Amino acid sequence: MAGATCTDAQTASLREGEILRGRFVQERYLTGFSKPVVSEGSFALVPGFGMIWQTEKPFAVMTAITANGLVQSVDGAETTRLTSARLPFLPRLYAMLSGALAGDLSALDSEFSVTKTQDGRASRLRLVPKRVDVASAAAIQSMDIHIVHFVESVDILKPGGDRDRLVFKNQVLRKGEPTSAELKALGAHR
Amino acid sequence: MRRFFALLWFCAVLGASLHVGVSVYRGLPLQTDILSLLPSEERDVVVQEAKDRVTQELMQRIVLLVSHEDPQRARLGAALLQDQLTSKKFLQPVSDVPSMERIRALGSAYFPYRTGLLSEDDREQLASGRADSIVTRALSQVYGVSGAVDGRLLARDPFLLFPAFLAALPLPVSKLKLIDGWLTVEEGGKTHVLMTGVLSGASMSLAFQQSFVAEVDQAVASMDDVSVLRLGAIFFAHASASSALRETASLTIISLACTVLLLLLVFRSLRPLILSLLAIGVGMVSALSLCLLWFGEIHVAAQLFGASLIGVAVDYALIYFGQAFGLVANGPSRLRRVFPGLFLGMLTTVIGYGTLALSPFPGLHQVALFSCVGLIAAFLTVVLWFPFLETYRHLSLLSVFVGLGTAIWKFWSLRAFGHARLLAYALILIVAVSGMSRLSVDDDIRHQQSLDAGLMAQQVSIMAIAGLSQSNQFFLVRGRTADEVLRLEERLAERMKAEINAGHLRNFVSIARFAPSIERQDENRTLVRTHLHERLHSYREQIGLESIIDEEARDYLTLDRILSAGALALVPKLILFERDDAAAHIVTLEGVSNVAPLRAIADDIPGISFVDPTADYSSLFSIYRQRALVLILVSACLMYPVLAWRYGFLGGMKVMLPPSVALGLTPACLALLGIPFTFFAAMALVLVLSMGVDYAVFCAEDNGRKDPFILFSVALAMGTALLSFGLLASSVIFAVKSFGLTMAIGLPLAYLLAPAAGNVRVVNRRKEGGV
Repeated sequence: MAGATCTDAQTASLREGEILRGRFVQERYLTGFSKPVVSEGSFALVPGFGMIWQTEKPFAVMTAITANGLVQSVDGAETTRLTSARLPFLPRLYAMLSGALAGDLSALDSEFSVTKTQDGRASRLRLVPKRVDVASAAAIQSMDIHIVHFVESVDILKPGGDRDRLVFKNQVLRKGEPTSAELKALGAHR
Repeated sequence: MRRFFALLWFCAVLGASLHVGVSVYRGLPLQTDILSLLPSEERDVVVQEAKDRVTQELMQRIVLLVSHEDPQRARLGAALLQDQLTSKKFLQPVSDVPSMERIRALGSAYFPYRTGLLSEDDREQLASGRADSIVTRALSQVYGVSGAVDGRLLARDPFLLFPAFLAALPLPVSKLKLIDGWLTVEEGGKTHVLMTGVLSGASMSLAFQQSFVAEVDQAVASMDDVSVLRLGAIFFAHASASSALRETASLTIISLACTVLLLLLVFRSLRPLILSLLAIGVGMVSALSLCLLWFGEIHVAAQLFGASLIGVAVDYALIYFGQAFGLVANGPSRLRRVFPGLFLGMLTTVIGYGTLALSPFPGLHQVALFSCVGLIAAFLTVVLWFPFLETYRHLSLLSVFVGLGTAIWKFWSLRAFGHARLLAYALILIVAVSGMSRLSVDDDIRHQQSLDAGLMAQQVSIMAIAGLSQSNQFFLVRGRTADEVLRLEERLAERMKAEINAGHLRNFVSIARFAPSIERQDENRTLVRTHLHERLHSYREQIGLESIIDEEARDYLTLDRILSAGALALVPKLILFERDDAAAHIVTLEGVSNVAPLRAIADDIPGISFVDPTADYSSLFSIYRQRALVLILVSACLMYPVLAWRYGFLGGMKVMLPPSVALGLTPACLALLGIPFTFFAAMALVLVLSMGVDYAVFCAEDNGRKDPFILFSVALAMGTALLSFGLLASSVIFAVKSFGLTMAIGLPLAYLLAPAAGNVRVVNRRKEGGV
């Protein structure tokens, strides 16, 4: 269990008023690329608000994802803004990522079949879209989540053969309010 | 000879009745389209065509907002509504919201032409030398967390310009998200699902309105606690038609009942009533028959307005029977006494109604023919049949009415009332001056109709919840070729960006935003080559992209190539026409809050016109209000020669004077009551003039006898006219109310002033007793 501070033996799940923070490493395996595109940074999941991914290396970019869409910014300047009204996969992406990290995947039950395998304290969840249209909308073929206490890693396989691997560490679950910077980032897309 | 003409007229009426009977049996060809009543006068036929297209497009659309606390139930409700309305063929099986498959097909159709396609923002960045920001965006997408990056795409579009172009396409946007194929918004603890549709029948057809709204009502009632808000022209049209029909029914019953009661009270006999109804019936049947022969159909509005003939056609019967109160002992003598007045009255009224044919409203042409034929037929019935059908020797009139009639005569003729008359003139002058100084006009089309308050509230709610802001204003772009039109649209788009930033509108949809002009596609390719190719090497090294695949089409994107994807249902409707020598497109607007800068853009760029149908209709009402006043002048000029022939040059003027004064005083009185003058009030003045001239003619035909029975007959005529027209003053529709109020004020004024024409003497008596 990489750096988790929560001592609860059960899988952690987020409640209103709690914030999950941690570090992540993203390895992106893309067709036509000699090596994976690796990036790392910190994240914050604020229930009821959204998620903030602050990529620090090798290129600093902040991605704020809410149910309403996605905003990326570099040095405080917005580079990309995608709304859920235009891209239907965004609410699913948000539901998947936040659901996986928060330990609550019930929102995905209707569209994904979830298989769980237990190995001692660790469990593995496999999400597969139930229908072709869902796979197409969510832009994923499958999603594997490895959980010990917190989510340790997420592997996302995409339709064209690309895949993303997200590894999490130093996760801390605490009660508290989001910082004003976090609120500002998430508020931009509420 | 009289019997021969009476028989001839009987044959004609029989023929008309048979014709109408057969037509009714086969199904009366009723026209109910309200639009056909509106003026189609637009000097520019292309603008008119574009207006018709946009209006038709807006009128055929409906929006239902289905809400429930449970998202599944809200979506299920929307699905049930859509299934029910589509399976019963009320809605066309098309949707504004393209499916995921269609959006993907659209992306595939665009993809080969990608280097010619740039979003407006990217184009601006490249053109202004800020290519680095595009590289930064691409890096942020490659390294940032999101599902949009694809290795195959990066190899073909390394700077991710294509997704940016797709994201900037003006597809229908709002506050709504697409969930399970439904546009959805969550607000106030509820899930709201938007169901849009295109009607399969005409939204202005009364029959379609009724069955469609009944189906929606039934479907909504079957879904327990799901709330459904409605938006669409058909719902407003149905509500207006229902309230108009209810109002028409109640006004007709009140008008008829009061008229019958009045006649029974006055004549204390059924025969004048039955014969009056006969004259009206013959008038209606003849008018209907000729209208069907002439136009091939009849508009319900012409029928309703024409039904107001009840108030005028009955005048002839009343003037005729009014003589039974006097000393004239039999029918033929009574006819001889009133014939000149009836004939002149009929002639001037027909001239008055006939001038309606000069109005710009197509529906009024039918009203004009319907009314003129009806009036002539009623007149012929009175003069040809009545002397054979009534055998009164003498009827007695209550002494109070005799006294009143005599008093009014005396007021206008006796020297003793000279001061009182002066006082009346002064009063008229004061009312005229103070009224005219307060006169205001209202030509705004939105004020002339009454929209259902409940539906208005639902419209406001839907627009607030869903963030919809459809606008009926648009740009019309014209050029010699389709590509020239696209280039003009691109110039327009550059100007519109500033207006969007300034908050003057929210968005716009043009063909060029989906399929740029050839020139623009060339420019885009050059911009990408010039500003991004030099950065490609270092960018590829930075992210580790090994190779670039160049497989794009060498020719240009055209609209046809992307329409086949089926994701752009609304786009083809923006093409007004594309011919060998000319093309015209429509550019629709969303969320317009300030039209002045938009008009200015159109003024600056030749080939682009800004069209604002509501403002255009309002300015048309202004023009037509002025024309209606000219119509009154024309009407008076046409009447005067008839009067001058009968009463002499000066006498004719004296007969024209009382109705003219009533005509001038009526708008002044309206102004004193705080009611603005409208086109519909001006149209009512046309009728005040023709009826007022009637009253003055009947008084002039008295030829100095000061017969109180004539004045009583005219009072009866005025009373029945008030019951038909004046009651319209109680209408909830402002246009109708304005018409009714004008009549309710103008007719009594015309009546009170008419005896002033009693001093005129007949100079040409050849027509007297001419039957």
